[in-house]
Amino acid sequence: MERHLRSILIVLGLLLLQTTFVPLLSLGGTVPDLLLIWVVYTALRRGQVETTIAGFLVGLLQDLVSTQLFGLAALSKTVAGFLAGYFYNENKIDQTLGTYRFLLVVGSCSIAHDAIYFLIFLQGTDVSPILAATQFTLATTAYTMAVSALPMFAFSRRLAT
Amino acid sequence: MLERLYNLFLQFREYVLLAGLIVLSLILLSLNDKPQVRRIRTIATVAMGVVQNQLSFIPRYFQLKGENEALRRVNMELADEASRLREAKLENIRLRSLLGLKGQSSRPLITANVVSKNLTLLRNSLTLDVGNADGVKPSMPVLSESGLVGVIVAASDNYSIANILLNTEFRASAKIQRSRVDGILAWNGQHLTLKNIAKTLDVKPGDVLVTSDYSSTYPPDIRIGIISSLREERGSLFREVIVTPGVDFVRLEQVFILTAVPDSEKVALEKKVTQLFNP
Repeated sequence: MERHLRSILIVLGLLLLQTTFVPLLSLGGTVPDLLLIWVVYTALRRGQVETTIAGFLVGLLQDLVSTQLFGLAALSKTVAGFLAGYFYNENKIDQTLGTYRFLLVVGSCSIAHDAIYFLIFLQGTDVSPILAATQFTLATTAYTMAVSALPMFAFSRRLAT
Repeated sequence: MLERLYNLFLQFREYVLLAGLIVLSLILLSLNDKPQVRRIRTIATVAMGVVQNQLSFIPRYFQLKGENEALRRVNMELADEASRLREAKLENIRLRSLLGLKGQSSRPLITANVVSKNLTLLRNSLTLDVGNADGVKPSMPVLSESGLVGVIVAASDNYSIANILLNTEFRASAKIQRSRVDGILAWNGQHLTLKNIAKTLDVKPGDVLVTSDYSSTYPPDIRIGIISSLREERGSLFREVIVTPGVDFVRLEQVFILTAVPDSEKVALEKKVTQLFNP
């Protein structure tokens, strides 16, 4: 119960950061996705089933406070959580979180997440959905991976001590 | 049989769960235009806006230097414009009296602070700290000193949400100030464009774009921006006209809401005629 309450508070804090401060770090309209990093972290700690549900709920919360398509973040984060769950290994949790493997998992899940998100999001616009989705996906994935290096270094320091 | 099914479910529970949540997400996607969903989202966005409002001093502190420079520049431009406007007003009064035209009454404006911005994607929007209690209603135009900002799409008691020009749902009837050529202003995800402009029409880069007289939402002659470039499309009768908005949405912090709602009689008549010809 306490664990769930702590997760809820962390998600709300990250959501506030994502909507308030992260836009200030925008590079050419691209911003990192802190909530996706949290979903991947949860997957590596808790496994596939819990993270698939957590991904859906986090995405739903993100949908509620944005003016984008409702249900789209829920869909993409559900899939991202499910995929991240494949990298769960209860014997190597700290090793995965504190090494470059964490970045690779974040990158893989971010590609799937952003590809789904932008391919649906760009429907009905004049731009080519595939081309634009590729550009947005690569840019957002690179930025999210770069930011996910911060928790990775924190975990690696904890691993070393 | 049931036990076998249950065992099968346990064996593939991750996939069953994934499939279930994907179906649920798709159902939510299909409910996007439901007023109930819009209402819930407005409440959630407003709740987030209240928190963001408390924290808004931090980004403002970082933007202070740039804001000071921008304000000095705007101040210079406004001083120059005020001088020219005084001249124009005197000339206007003289001409109106000559022509016997009725003076147009100016509409009241509501001042609003931008409490949060969504400027990273295709459906960009602003959350403003004024709402129904201040007289704000959906479809009211939003302006700044640099021109048209967007339109109110949802309002609660104390907050409202505005779709800005850079939003794929935004449309406005616009005209070139110099040549009076009309078109439809829209954001295609990459550029703000003026649509339906035939290659033969008189449009040049640098032309000023304003709202046209045909819009039922926006009053005429509100500055929108300037034509930045023209692109010829092979095999098409039309050309792509790229518009640079006058408003700098990144630095935008205060806006004005024009308390003008569309003339319901005009809108109803246009809707009736549209339905008549497009049953």
